[in-house]
Amino acid sequence: MRFMMLMIPLGYETAPPTVQLDPERMAAMMRYNEALKEAGVLITLDGLHPPSMGARVSFAGGKPVVTDGPFAESKEVLGGYWMIEVNSRDEAIAWATKCPASSNEIIEIRQVQEMEDFSPELQRVAAGFTELQGKGKR
Amino acid sequence: MRFMVIVKASKDSEAGVMPSTELLTAMGKFNEEMAAAGLMEAGEGLHPTSRGARVKYSGGQSSVSRGPFDLNGDLVAGFWLIKTKSLEEAIDWMKRAPFDGGEEIEIRQVFSPEDFGEALTPELRENEARLRAQAAKK
Repeated sequence: MRFMMLMIPLGYETAPPTVQLDPERMAAMMRYNEALKEAGVLITLDGLHPPSMGARVSFAGGKPVVTDGPFAESKEVLGGYWMIEVNSRDEAIAWATKCPASSNEIIEIRQVQEMEDFSPELQRVAAGFTELQGKGKR
Repeated sequence: MRFMVIVKASKDSEAGVMPSTELLTAMGKFNEEMAAAGLMEAGEGLHPTSRGARVKYSGGQSSVSRGPFDLNGDLVAGFWLIKTKSLEEAIDWMKRAPFDGGEEIEIRQVFSPEDFGEALTPELRENEARLRAQAAKK
């Protein structure tokens, strides 16, 4: 089963574009990433620039409306994620509890949908999607 | 530049309502266009937060709470990872996404090693590259 560990750093919603990361914390995170990799559970991971460098598109009226970040109404935003392959939600939780996160951070664990989670009809419609992925791979 | 396009959760996504055949067909077409343009790296849907969990950290201790979580406008339902030349190009692509109602997406730039400056020492940078190469092989 694939799970996303979504890193939610509280306060990141108002971080300036020039946000600086602490080298010591980065080194601790790298050790954690190494442990995930050595256990064979890590699929991929990324960090995200602050929302002040991003944008939102909403489709409420059927027409796209673009809003530049930061987003005043957000209480929580993503700071990054890990995607892992484990056997259960409990195993994903166990990995998350080992993360050297600080008290202003929350990790949300979410199971990733697989093709077999779709009905046969939807599977037919979505066939080929897996092959599309990775076309823009670095 | 790499961007994560975060699709926000809705009442339906949190209730586990699967997309309609029509929407999935339109999404498939949109995904194919992005793949043909060489910018589609990944796209995933997440199961509702009722199947997820959150971990909070405090002074070396962690506490776990199980979903579902309040639909506060910040919950995630899925994402794309795309590669474009600028935020504007990412926005232009996403304006064409076949969303037809209350959906909202958030576009966030992914950190690349160059963004970390001196905090990412040559050693950390090397570790990071190795980690990615090995995770990608899976």
